[in-house]
Amino acid sequence: MEERRDALRQHAAAAALIGALAAPGAAAACELPPGKRLESAQLSLSYRTTPARIAVGEHFVLELAVCPKQGKVAERIRLDAHMPEHRHGMNYRPSVKALGEGRYSSEGWLFHMAGRWEFVFEIGGERLADSVRVE
Amino acid sequence: MKGFTLAFVLGFLSCPGFAQNSPLSSEEIKAILRHGPWPAPWSPDPSNRGSGKAAAIELGERLFFEPRLSPSGKVLCATCHAPFRAWQDARPRALGLAEAERNTLSVLNVRYGRWFGWDGAGDSLWAQSIRPILDAREMGGSLAQAAALVRNDADLACRFEKAFGALPRGDAGVVAAIGKALAAFQETLVTGRTPFDDFRDALERADAEALKAYPEPALRGLRLFAGKGNCSLCHAGPAFTNGEFHDTGVPFFVAGGGVDAGRHAGIRKLLANEFNLLGRHSDDPGGRSAVRTRHVAPEHRNFGEFKVPGLRNVALTAPYMHNGSLATLADVVRHYSELSVDRLHSDGEVLLLRPLRLAAQEATDLVAFLESLTEKKSALAAPRPATPCAR
Repeated sequence: MEERRDALRQHAAAAALIGALAAPGAAAACELPPGKRLESAQLSLSYRTTPARIAVGEHFVLELAVCPKQGKVAERIRLDAHMPEHRHGMNYRPSVKALGEGRYSSEGWLFHMAGRWEFVFEIGGERLADSVRVE
Repeated sequence: MKGFTLAFVLGFLSCPGFAQNSPLSSEEIKAILRHGPWPAPWSPDPSNRGSGKAAAIELGERLFFEPRLSPSGKVLCATCHAPFRAWQDARPRALGLAEAERNTLSVLNVRYGRWFGWDGAGDSLWAQSIRPILDAREMGGSLAQAAALVRNDADLACRFEKAFGALPRGDAGVVAAIGKALAAFQETLVTGRTPFDDFRDALERADAEALKAYPEPALRGLRLFAGKGNCSLCHAGPAFTNGEFHDTGVPFFVAGGGVDAGRHAGIRKLLANEFNLLGRHSDDPGGRSAVRTRHVAPEHRNFGEFKVPGLRNVALTAPYMHNGSLATLADVVRHYSELSVDRLHSDGEVLLLRPLRLAAQEATDLVAFLESLTEKKSALAAPRPATPCAR
């Protein structure tokens, strides 16, 4: 039983913060797949959810692709979401799996209230955010 | 085209008798429509190979009304979940072999849940169904005693084998299947259609005549519920619950000076439970049904949070709140109307929960709406199978 708890703790820790195992591709060769695109000074990213329409109280998966504008893909990535107007986050800690080439798959997402949610992508020293309205 | 028709219908619907006699706004209509249709779609639980299967449902029904599951022979599932009391017990706190700390939740519509019990310590209905069998204050049983009951009773053993195959050697395997049979039966307990559902569907199809059948006080209360009251935020969707946990300012101190930590303790219990969805007894190991369990973790703010109960048939399930401390629906409405925000310990809850300061008429209307979520057909247990099991 204690082993199971330890495994869960490790899993939760990995969910919050992982070291990217992907081999960093050269910036020029990096192409983003279809999805919502966000830009910062250092990187471009695209993300999409499955299912595409997020429903209140239903788990969904988030796929993320990151392209650095120069240098390598950052080694640290953290994904989260919260409701700014309500000042609360999710009741779950999504896990993140690095797929290589700056691609990630993240599961365990669930928005438990209708309203405006903000995705937060922390990649290296960059923080990008995007709002979605869930009904 | 439909929008135009709907606007006409809603204009027609408004009348001087309404305290808020303006037509329903498009936002209000959207909010109301999200509470249906009913019954909501449902699919069998992949972690329970008996879910939706007739043999498991029949076994589960027998076990639900089986006093020998308790060594005392005096407590059965139906002691607290009495069909004629909307599948709960009408007591402030559950009473099995001794009194527990929490109010009994009805098992009607329990199949739509994601977490089970006031603290969500169960991640499946079958795991939750095992808990009272083993709880000393409820049925006071044990894995060995419950497994022996099924092994040694020819009819139960026959039904078990039909539902789940050969009896496992280990007691835990037998009890896991007992839980799955109980869950399969409870999954059949669904509330019927209510006056609210008729109104909601009439709204969807813009049926002016059918809309008029909904009582005016209930409609005014519905508008408060989905509007000013902000109740729909947590009591969301067709079952009127978002399936999650909140601190709503109900005291969590218990008799003897203890504290009911609610969801915080519930997550710890969940992760320590050998019958959780990460364990060997799930029929969907590593599958989609365990996503919630793999990704939940206790946070400080979970302390004193309790599950948002569904509201269908709520008028039949007094008393209310996790500790049964409020006797009537009027008391519940008064609680939210006069809520003390100082009592709430989370910033987020303070933003969401503000005293509604309802006028007397508004409070009455809100109760009228909640009463419109009532039907009584589900209180009638289906005829139990009478024929003995034949191998």
